[in-house]
Amino acid sequence: MRKFMRAGLWALGALMLTLATAAVATNYSLWINGRTGGGVLGNYADFTYWGPSSTDAGVNKKSVNWDGYNHISDQNYLVRNALDCYCTGTNWCYVAAHSAGDLMIGYTLSMYGGSTRYKKNAVAGTNGECSNSDGSTQTGWNIKWVDVAAGAGGGSELADAGDWAVSEPLVSDLKTSTARAMYDHNNTRSAWFYMYAGAKGTLYSFVLPGQDDEVVAYHSSGGVSGSSGGSYCNPGDWLCNDLTLGTAANQGGRAKWTNHSVVFRDDAEAYNHYTNKAWGGVVSKVRADMVANAR
Amino acid sequence: MSRLLFVIAGAAVAVLVGVLLPGGETPAVVPTRPVAVAQAAPAPAVMPGSTASSPYTVDGLRAKQSLLALWQGRLKRAEDTLASYQRSTRYPHEARPLSEHPDQVRPFDPIADDIPLRTPGGDAAKGVRVRTTQDRVFASGAESVRFTVRAVDESGKTLPLLVTRATAFDLPDPRQVAGRPQAPVNFTDAGSGDGTLSAVLQPSTQGFADFAGTIRLQVYLNQDGQLGNVYFDVVYQPLVPAEWAGVREALSNGSLDFFLKARVAQPGRYVVSARVDDASGKPFALLSFNDEVAAGAQEFRLTLFGKLVRDTAPVFPLTLRDVQGFLLLPDKFPDRAMLPRLTGAVYTSRSYALASFADTEWSSEERDRYLAELNKDVSESKQQVEELTR
Repeated sequence: MRKFMRAGLWALGALMLTLATAAVATNYSLWINGRTGGGVLGNYADFTYWGPSSTDAGVNKKSVNWDGYNHISDQNYLVRNALDCYCTGTNWCYVAAHSAGDLMIGYTLSMYGGSTRYKKNAVAGTNGECSNSDGSTQTGWNIKWVDVAAGAGGGSELADAGDWAVSEPLVSDLKTSTARAMYDHNNTRSAWFYMYAGAKGTLYSFVLPGQDDEVVAYHSSGGVSGSSGGSYCNPGDWLCNDLTLGTAANQGGRAKWTNHSVVFRDDAEAYNHYTNKAWGGVVSKVRADMVANAR
Repeated sequence: MSRLLFVIAGAAVAVLVGVLLPGGETPAVVPTRPVAVAQAAPAPAVMPGSTASSPYTVDGLRAKQSLLALWQGRLKRAEDTLASYQRSTRYPHEARPLSEHPDQVRPFDPIADDIPLRTPGGDAAKGVRVRTTQDRVFASGAESVRFTVRAVDESGKTLPLLVTRATAFDLPDPRQVAGRPQAPVNFTDAGSGDGTLSAVLQPSTQGFADFAGTIRLQVYLNQDGQLGNVYFDVVYQPLVPAEWAGVREALSNGSLDFFLKARVAQPGRYVVSARVDDASGKPFALLSFNDEVAAGAQEFRLTLFGKLVRDTAPVFPLTLRDVQGFLLLPDKFPDRAMLPRLTGAVYTSRSYALASFADTEWSSEERDRYLAELNKDVSESKQQVEELTR
């Protein structure tokens, strides 16, 4: 009888292991902040940058906090930690990024998207790192797609012209020539970047070319390719090329970065750059998409 | 006994799920209901013979339609994601059609910009634009950087321009000792006949030989009494991590490998890219390498994937050109140490028959993993749509 019980318990253990492996396959929604930061680094529950943490923002949402002040390269380990935690093994991720968060996730995928990653257990310590699950590895991360609000992957002329503090390391990364030379923006490891571009900018319109959300111009938020910026607008402006929706080349012929698609262009000039710690501005559009489709 | 085991198993599974899903996380294997729509749907009006939750009320039908639209949207997204991934990954990420990388075709072209003439925080001068170029952002070792400026009016006609002062200095960085002397940089007529002024900065000989970080060149401009500034940033790293040492090729497993030889002084993750043109001069492939490399005599293997050759049928021989490479320094700034640029044609391949190349799609654990998951998403969404349309 005892022998039988022992055999039964072993079988049960094997069954539990199998069930555990299958059952913990989980999808996550990762939110990567932009300049200024605000959330505690490594605390994936701290949504200070974005707004109330009680707000719905996609399945199993996690706030991937970095300081929004230092260089992209300095802070990049925080993003890689989060991707390792939640986007390896049987777990998959949807990513949402705002402003310089676009530069952050683009840099990560271009530089490290094909690197060998340990599969993690999705249980984060206070430093934001997770333990290995079974010691095995995989190539890259499991990312279904990326939503980008007011993306600064193409930089901002506010960093070019000395309007932002030169003492801030991130500002030099955001110079348009530097941001665009930092990595191959077309190399997203085949993940789609869905671009949401706001146009309610007035204050810096004499610095930011074409339409802008008060921090970034359409050439960046619309994922327009090239080593420098350019002037792109809503349809109807005769003096400025249109930013096209989708993946089509823009008026004037300049292509978008590959795997970048403009899904929201602010024709009504109603959305600015700022979250206002209330999931505001263009982020509100991305949040709606995450709620609907990141599940 | 068997009942006892069943009870133990049930309890254990319950505990396991509780332990492994901290914070009440939703497992992916359980299809979630679209919460937002459920919350947004108005409470159904109760009709005679039906309950509030009945799908036969007007509001119930409206809610169902709304739910259906949501799932149809999800299905479309899932199908698009799957189709796009499948199409894109028929070639590996390291061997891509160059048309997919529009701003990587001529990587060494100067970065050109067109900006208003203004001082920081000031208004733009009316009718004056400043056109600038910079031939690189990242530099290492003895590399130098060339800059140009010129002024034009709104119609593009050249305007006279003076550079009253230009200095290079290190941007503040808590990791560097501050107080490095500023280096004057001399702009002169570039001789192009269009009023362009140019200057060259060689950090290693102009006071930055021991500096790693951002060097800013600040240029003060005067256009007929209207003042303005332009800034150029160079991310400089004194270290030259490796030197090129030739190229060889080999046809292997239906693909053509270009081996870029290098003497590697500093081990680590190297990122290398090169362009391939066919014999008619048509750019057609971007090849890349991104992996850990040891010190010593090494080869960076750039693989021109067989199916890419089969699908695009380039005219042989092929030319490998414009090679860029750097040592990636993780979590540091500067994050890279550049290898010398290899500008223009670097190597010409032998000629091969098209049939020498494999016509099979890229296969890997990564691709299989993605296709399995994305197919699952399509199936789940399809199932939901079908249920809602019954």
